[in-house]
Amino acid sequence: MNLTVLPVLLPMLTGLIALLWSRPTAGRRTAIVASTLGQLGVALFLGALSYAQGPLVLPVGGWGTTLGIVLVVDLLSAIMLALSSFTALACVLYACAEKPAAAEHPLQLPLTQFLVVGVNLAFVTGDMFNLFVAFEVMLVTSYALLTLESDNRNVRHAWSYLGLNLVGSALFLLGCGYAYGLFGTLNFAEMALQADALAGDPRLVLLALVFLVVFGLKAGVFPFYYWLPESYPILPGPVAAFFSGMLTKVGVYVLLRVFGTVFPPSLPLVYELLAWGAGLTMVFGVLGAVAQSRVQHILSYHIVSQIGFMVLAIGFHTPLAFTAAILYIIHHIVVKSSLFLVGGTVRHVFGTDRLDATGGLWRVAPWLGVAFLIQAMSLAGLPPLSGFWGKYLILVEGVGEERWVLLAAAIVASILTLVSMLKIWLACFWAPAPEGGMPASRPGTRRMTSVVVGMTAVSLVIGLGVNFFYGVADRAARQVLDRPSYIEAVTGRPAPGAETILSLR
Amino acid sequence: MSVQLDMAIVVGLMTGAAVYLILQKNFVRILFGFILLSNAVNLALLAVAGDPSGKTAPVLGDAVGRPMVDPLPQALILTAIVIGFGVTAYLVFLFYRMFVDHDTADLEELTAEDEKGGKP
Repeated sequence: MNLTVLPVLLPMLTGLIALLWSRPTAGRRTAIVASTLGQLGVALFLGALSYAQGPLVLPVGGWGTTLGIVLVVDLLSAIMLALSSFTALACVLYACAEKPAAAEHPLQLPLTQFLVVGVNLAFVTGDMFNLFVAFEVMLVTSYALLTLESDNRNVRHAWSYLGLNLVGSALFLLGCGYAYGLFGTLNFAEMALQADALAGDPRLVLLALVFLVVFGLKAGVFPFYYWLPESYPILPGPVAAFFSGMLTKVGVYVLLRVFGTVFPPSLPLVYELLAWGAGLTMVFGVLGAVAQSRVQHILSYHIVSQIGFMVLAIGFHTPLAFTAAILYIIHHIVVKSSLFLVGGTVRHVFGTDRLDATGGLWRVAPWLGVAFLIQAMSLAGLPPLSGFWGKYLILVEGVGEERWVLLAAAIVASILTLVSMLKIWLACFWAPAPEGGMPASRPGTRRMTSVVVGMTAVSLVIGLGVNFFYGVADRAARQVLDRPSYIEAVTGRPAPGAETILSLR
Repeated sequence: MSVQLDMAIVVGLMTGAAVYLILQKNFVRILFGFILLSNAVNLALLAVAGDPSGKTAPVLGDAVGRPMVDPLPQALILTAIVIGFGVTAYLVFLFYRMFVDHDTADLEELTAEDEKGGKP
């Protein structure tokens, strides 16, 4: 299926063309928006195809699956591709509204496109080393974006992000070498085929633990999350929204892929570790959020807390839990990015996002307030908004598995989420305007608000039309967990012996 | 796969030295620590290919019909070196900018400034 190259190729070409386009103009912006729309279309088309047919496979260059690079798009990959294109589209539109074309940093939009290249490559690759390359493309671009517009005081916050990710990359590379030594291949399907024979082997457990640390670090799981709230707040609004939506979720996607498809289901120690790590992540993330007093800092800590929910579902390791995790990812990316855009607007209007220096936004931008309130309630998990359904399914699964302590942690985290979201609401929107009166309405606020309202509408659709999205997430979870079919689709050889938790039910 | 004790010792020593350097306060030492770490990982990848003695290079012509070294780890290392070069260049520049902006090459002073100053 040659179409599977497009999610990587389109943003790469767009980024290159935008780089060569001497300076930021309205024409360049239009071209990038058009290309992002095209990427969204391709991702949705791939989703429809993989929903009907199962995984779409492309052995690049015809080298075969053992040694060559293979691109695989199954429904989960397609969902993630669609979400990344959607977030990129929203962020580009928002960036266009925030500043006139002449004031835009000439590298910001091209670099965002290259970031999309890395993110999308991570979603379509079917090979561990290619995944490493995708991560590096993503990281190098994100380093550049992190320091592109940061001022002299803030530039040092990039260090914790860089330092931890450098260690993570070295570990990932080591894990690749280790996997090659163990399996003689780095292809996901071939690895899965051989992993069954090694079930119970301590070397397999060790490899799983190495990958757990590496991807846990990318996702921001306890105790590897401190880089996230340290570095995200220094980003400009639209870039922060894309980072918050996609980068940590790449880590979660890879955890789903690696522990759903590649490793056999019989690794109880690893899943136990994941579940408890997730529980601690939820609690520590939300406690961090309660303690903060700036919008983007609070939201950054919330990412950590929400990651805990998704990873908790992976730790439960049942088909329903995987469905819940995917549903939660769909909700989280839309809601979180839009909240970061609200934070960006707060900064745009007041020049700061400190809660004690803001207020009265309700009068200037009422629709922004409505959108924020809906998204905040959704993040906390109030029915019938989109965040409720994923959390509900995870809790149902937790009751079924009788994990009472983790359930209690999840509920406490949800309540504290609501508390800290109300803190933003009260300080930014409800409180009287700061001393010295409201700042004069800044140009662009109206268009920025309309982007946020659009994203809120999408998240409302997810919440109210959950029947459809549940069906899609369920199909995606089945494709991820159906190891025999995945192996057969990629290698072309039937693998009836491959273990899967689907057949156990 | 034959045991390569010499390789294991070298990789272990390099990683140990790298971790020691990374945990220092001085920018230059941290930089050297990361360079050493990436080289240690590359060597570990090379060791995955197995003991090379008695094998020829994987080049067509010479190697036909004879035991040859596994070329895949070498391809991986090549990619990793290129990526590592780019990232190291970025790291050098970030350290340089932090040095110019804050007039210190010491991480501890940088964080101390964070605690007393607060953010604007």
